[in-house]
Amino acid sequence: MNDVWQSDWSLMTPEWIVLAVAVVLLLIDVAMPDERSRRPLAWGAALGAVLALGATAALIPAEPASILHGTFRLDSFAKAFKLLLLAGGALALLIVAGWNPKEGSRYGGEFAYLLLFALLGAMMTASSGDLLTLFVSVELLTVSSYILAGLRKTVAASNEAALKYVINGGIATAVMLFGMSYVFGLTGTTNLNEIARRLQETNEPYMLALAFLLLLIGVSFKLAAVPFHMWAPDVYEGAPVPATAFFAVVSKTAGFVLLLRLLVTMFAAAPAEGRDPSSLLLSMQPAIAVLAGLTMIIGSVVALRQRSLKRLLAYSSIAHAGYLLAGFAAMSWAMIDSLWIYLLAYLLMNMGAFAIVSHIVDETGSDDWDGLTGLYRHRPLLAAALGLFLLSLAGIPGTAGFIAKLHLFIGLVVTEPGHYVLAAVMAITTVISYVYYFNLIVQLFFRPLFSSAPLGRMSAGLSAAVVLCALGTLALGWAPGLAYNVLAQFDHFGDFLP
Amino acid sequence: MSGTDIAFFLLALAAIAGAVMMLQLTNVVHMVLSLVMTFLAIAGLYVLLSAEFVAVVQVLIYSGAITIIMLFAIMLTRHHADDKERQTTGGVGHKAAAAFAVLAFGLAVYAGIRTLDFGADGSALPADNAKAIGQWLYSYYTIPFEIVSVLLLVALIGAIVLAKKDGKGAEDE
Repeated sequence: MNDVWQSDWSLMTPEWIVLAVAVVLLLIDVAMPDERSRRPLAWGAALGAVLALGATAALIPAEPASILHGTFRLDSFAKAFKLLLLAGGALALLIVAGWNPKEGSRYGGEFAYLLLFALLGAMMTASSGDLLTLFVSVELLTVSSYILAGLRKTVAASNEAALKYVINGGIATAVMLFGMSYVFGLTGTTNLNEIARRLQETNEPYMLALAFLLLLIGVSFKLAAVPFHMWAPDVYEGAPVPATAFFAVVSKTAGFVLLLRLLVTMFAAAPAEGRDPSSLLLSMQPAIAVLAGLTMIIGSVVALRQRSLKRLLAYSSIAHAGYLLAGFAAMSWAMIDSLWIYLLAYLLMNMGAFAIVSHIVDETGSDDWDGLTGLYRHRPLLAAALGLFLLSLAGIPGTAGFIAKLHLFIGLVVTEPGHYVLAAVMAITTVISYVYYFNLIVQLFFRPLFSSAPLGRMSAGLSAAVVLCALGTLALGWAPGLAYNVLAQFDHFGDFLP
Repeated sequence: MSGTDIAFFLLALAAIAGAVMMLQLTNVVHMVLSLVMTFLAIAGLYVLLSAEFVAVVQVLIYSGAITIIMLFAIMLTRHHADDKERQTTGGVGHKAAAAFAVLAFGLAVYAGIRTLDFGADGSALPADNAKAIGQWLYSYYTIPFEIVSVLLLVALIGAIVLAKKDGKGAEDE
C-alpha cells in the first residue's frame, strides 16, 4: 500500500492535466444552459492538450522511470510518442472548435471531453510497461472512439459507422486478448520487461509464434492494415469530420505505439523456430512484410476509384499505414526514429487536409470532390494550403512527406539483407498515389468554377489548424534538422528494450 | 480421466453449446437465455480453476446484471418476435471458407497446446483469493484500476448521449 503513496506521481503530469481538463469541462457542460454554444469548451480542451504538450516537453530531460512496478513507464519512447499524440489531439480539438455541421451540433461539449478521454487512453498506451495497463488504455481510446463516431445522431451513416466500429473493434480486442492470454500463461506475469526476460527461458516457439500472430492480427485491425481494413472507409466516411481526423491520425499513431510496445518489447529476444532462432520478431519478419505490401497496394489502388473526399483520405491513410508497416518490417537500427518522423509528417499533412475537408463538408453539405472544383478562383490561399498538404501526402520534395518517406525507404535498403521487394512496392505505390493526389490538385487549380456559391469564411479553429499544419509541413520539408534535434534528445530510444 | 477432467468437458460443452444456440435461435429472449447458459458454464470453469471469487462475480455480473439489462432492453424496444425469416449473408462458398478457417485455426491451436505444460497446479493459489485480488488491485494495479474508472465514466457519458432523445418532442415526454 505504501508503494502508492511513495511513487513519484509528478511523472504523470501530462496525463493529470488531460484528465483534469476533461472532468472540469464535463462539469461545466452539465451546468451550462442548453442554448449556449459549446464552442468555448472545445477551445478549453485544445488549451488543455497544449498545456499537457508543454508538460511533456518539460519532462524530456527526466531520467527514464516507472511508477508502481512498471504499470506506468516514462522512457524516451513514451515521451517522444506522447508529443505526437498530444500535438495530434490539440489539432483535432481545433477542428472540433471550428466544426459547424449542416445538421447542427448539439454535442460539441461531449465531443471535446470524449476526445480528451480518448487522448488520455492513447497517452497511457505510450506509457505503459504492463500488459494490463496497455489493454485498459487501448480500450479507453477505442470505447471513446466508438461514441465519437456516432455523435451525428440524426445521420444514418454516422450510426452505421459507430455500429461497424464497435463490432470490428470488439473482434480485434478479442483476438488481441486471446494472444495476450497465451503470453501471460507462458510467463505468469504482466510486466512487459519481465515477460521479455522470462520468454528467453521458455522453450515453446510454436505457441509463442501463435500468440505473436494473434497479437499482430489484433493490432492490424486497429491500424486498418489490409486485409483487416474493411471497417475503416465506412467509419471514416460516416463519422463527423473532426472524429475522422482523430481516428486517422491519433488512433493510428496509438496503434503503432501499441505495435511497438507489445511486439518489440516482448518478442525481440524470444526464442523461435525458422529463420532466426534467437529472435521471434525477426523470424516473423516475412509475415509483417506481406501485411505491409498488401496494405500499400490495396490502399493506393482502391483509392484511385474514390470520389468522396473522406473515403479517399481513408484509403490514403490505409496506404500510409502500409508505408509505416514496411518501415516496421525493415527493423533497421533506426526503425523507431524513422517511424516517429513519418508519423510527425503524417500528422501535419493529414490534420491540415482534414481541417479543409471539414470546412468544405460544413459549407456544401457533401464530401464529393466536386466541392473542390475551382477552389483556387475564389479562395486562393485555402487552395494553396490544400495543394501543399496533397503534395506532402504524395511525398514531393520540399514537403514533410518527402523527408519522412525517404527515411523509411533508406531503412528498407540499408538493412542486411535489404528489403528490396518492399522498397520496390513502396516506390510503385507512391507513383500510383500520385494519380489520385494530382487529380485533386487539377480539380483545385485548373477546373472552371463548378458551383456559383463561394465558400464562406473559415472559422478561427479551422484556420488555426490549417496555418499550423502548413507551417509545420513546410518547416519539416525545408529544415528537417528541426525534427532531428528533437529526436536527438531521445538517443535512438536506447532505453526502449529492457 | 479424473473427475476434474469430466467436469471440465461437461462445462466446456455447455459453454460452447450455449454460444452456438445463441447464434442459431430466432427469438431474442431465447438467445439471452442461451447466453446465460454460457455465462454459468464459464463460472463453473472458474471454480475448477479455484478462482471462486471470479466465479461468483461472473454469476452476479454476467448471469445476473447484464442479462437483466438485456431483458429490459428487449422489453422496452419494439421488435418483431414473430419474425421467423432469417436473413443470412454469404453463399455456400463463404460458409465453406469460414468453416475451413475455423477448423484450421482449431487444429493450429490444438497442435500447440497438446504438449503444452504451464507447469503450475492450483494448490499454490492463495486460499482466500478475494483478499489477494483486492491487495493486487489496490496496490500493484492501481493505475489500470483507475483507468478502468475513467473508462466506465466514458461508457456512461456515451450511453446517455447516444440514448437521449433529441429535438422538440424530448421535453414533452
